[in-house]
Amino acid sequence: MKNAWWKIIGVLLIIYSLIVGLLTPLRTGISDASPTSFKTGETIEINVQGYNSFYTKSSNELRAWLKMDSVNALTANNIEVLDDRNLSLTFILPAYLPTSHKVQDFTLIVDSPKDGAAILPGGIFVTQDSIDVASGDSLWVNAEITNLHEKETINFPYRNILYETIRNLYYHVPLWFAMFILFITAMVKSIFYLRSFNPVHDQKAAAFTSVGILYGILGLVTGAIWAKNTWGAYWSWDVKQNMTAVGMLIYAAYFVLRASFEDPEKRARISAVYNIFAFATLIPLLYVVPKLTDSLHPGAGGNIAFGSQDLDNTMRMVFYPAIIGWALFGTWLATLVFKITSLKERWLDQQDGF
Amino acid sequence: MNLLQEITFLLKKEFTLEWRQKYAISGIFLYVLSTVFIIFISFQKISPQLWNVLFWIVMLFASINAVVKSFVQESGNRQLYYYQLANPLAILLSKMLYNAMLLLLIGVLTFVALSFIAGSPVEDAYNFAMALFFGSVGFSITFTFVSAIAAKADNNSTLMAILSFPVVIPVLLLLVNLSAHSIGLLGGTQVSRDIMMLLAVDLVLLALGMVLFPFLWRD
Repeated sequence: MKNAWWKIIGVLLIIYSLIVGLLTPLRTGISDASPTSFKTGETIEINVQGYNSFYTKSSNELRAWLKMDSVNALTANNIEVLDDRNLSLTFILPAYLPTSHKVQDFTLIVDSPKDGAAILPGGIFVTQDSIDVASGDSLWVNAEITNLHEKETINFPYRNILYETIRNLYYHVPLWFAMFILFITAMVKSIFYLRSFNPVHDQKAAAFTSVGILYGILGLVTGAIWAKNTWGAYWSWDVKQNMTAVGMLIYAAYFVLRASFEDPEKRARISAVYNIFAFATLIPLLYVVPKLTDSLHPGAGGNIAFGSQDLDNTMRMVFYPAIIGWALFGTWLATLVFKITSLKERWLDQQDGF
Repeated sequence: MNLLQEITFLLKKEFTLEWRQKYAISGIFLYVLSTVFIIFISFQKISPQLWNVLFWIVMLFASINAVVKSFVQESGNRQLYYYQLANPLAILLSKMLYNAMLLLLIGVLTFVALSFIAGSPVEDAYNFAMALFFGSVGFSITFTFVSAIAAKADNNSTLMAILSFPVVIPVLLLLVNLSAHSIGLLGGTQVSRDIMMLLAVDLVLLALGMVLFPFLWRD
């Protein structure tokens, strides 16, 4: 038990990330608004569908805005609560907008003291027949957006398109990080082998590589499930998905290579060389090629990475422990694989009468 | 003898060997021509996009077939003799250099053959030549090193395909991108960046090959 503390920490961190990651509710949001297109000079009614919202509990204190830009916003003239999930908002649109765009998009904001603020970014479109910025300015009744509430309890951000799948961040991404840690360890062990020619290092490299492949496949599967819910298909031949599959092929070839040698010394040496070479090709595969073409994946094809905008401090509390947990757990798995192979080897040696 | 002299000497040896056994190089040329002919029969009309992809596929398979023999055409004992005589690094580099020239020749032949039957959609000849040059070098570095690995195993031609296809994909995709630029399929001004990236990948693979080869040749 003395040397098992890191295994326990790894398992505890994974359990923590599973429990907290799956049970923490999402913040309130707006899942749907209809209709979404309007014309200037009308009194409009928008039916809002809330997510994780409890409108009836704070029906008198609800506030709603249509936000045009950082300065200009319209407030709702009437808010009718239909039930906990449904609102009917009434706005009076002026005849002209203080903008030179023909079609202007508005962000819908609903604020309640109970749930906190919810937004639907750029979800409402208003078309003006003729553009007149000056009269738009004079007609505009600006309502400043102030004192937005925040929900007190622990929760995760609500994002349109992502919805509940935002939790996959704690499984897909940490598995991916941990896979990299495992492959790097395997490469370092291969370098150790080539420096010392101690067969233990080679067996460890093979063990870390095998667990790395397992993590890679799990990362690919969790990614495919996420893609089904956000991109619309499990496999959309996205460059990031394709390159990951190729990366797994590179490492699968490592085991084919190992299997094709009879002599253990030769096998260890050649596969150590290949392992280092494989890692060097994995980097351009996963970080250079996806930047060249269009991709749906965050952090590729000119997209911003997930962390820069959508990761808040509550998510970090689960995300970072999950990375450490999966990495420690993977290391544990690799040491087990190593023990099994070395025991098998010893048993075979005894069978041969060494 | 210093490294440079050794390399030129070994390069001469490779050329002499090739010249004596003409069947290998003529086999590759025949392979390219018959593939292009089959392409023509099956497609009849080839769009620029298809042309681009087919060119690199023909190039890829011809290259693998050309390079796979680098370390197996001579017997293991004679190889060991070479390693005693010359710096192993010089042997690797001379083979890479020789293969790069061979692949460049194959690339030019593929280009001529494909242009002859389907017309050439290349608009920016300079960029295409750059892609062809760095592509040959990249293929040569990757395939030569992988063939050195595969030669150590028994069923080396199968292993060659398994090991080299995934490993060469970063280079191949950069090349397809680059030649798509020169054909006019892709706009933008990122050509120089792509060439730099290709060069960087080539250099990394070359450096790694040079560092790792001393562990590979010993038996």
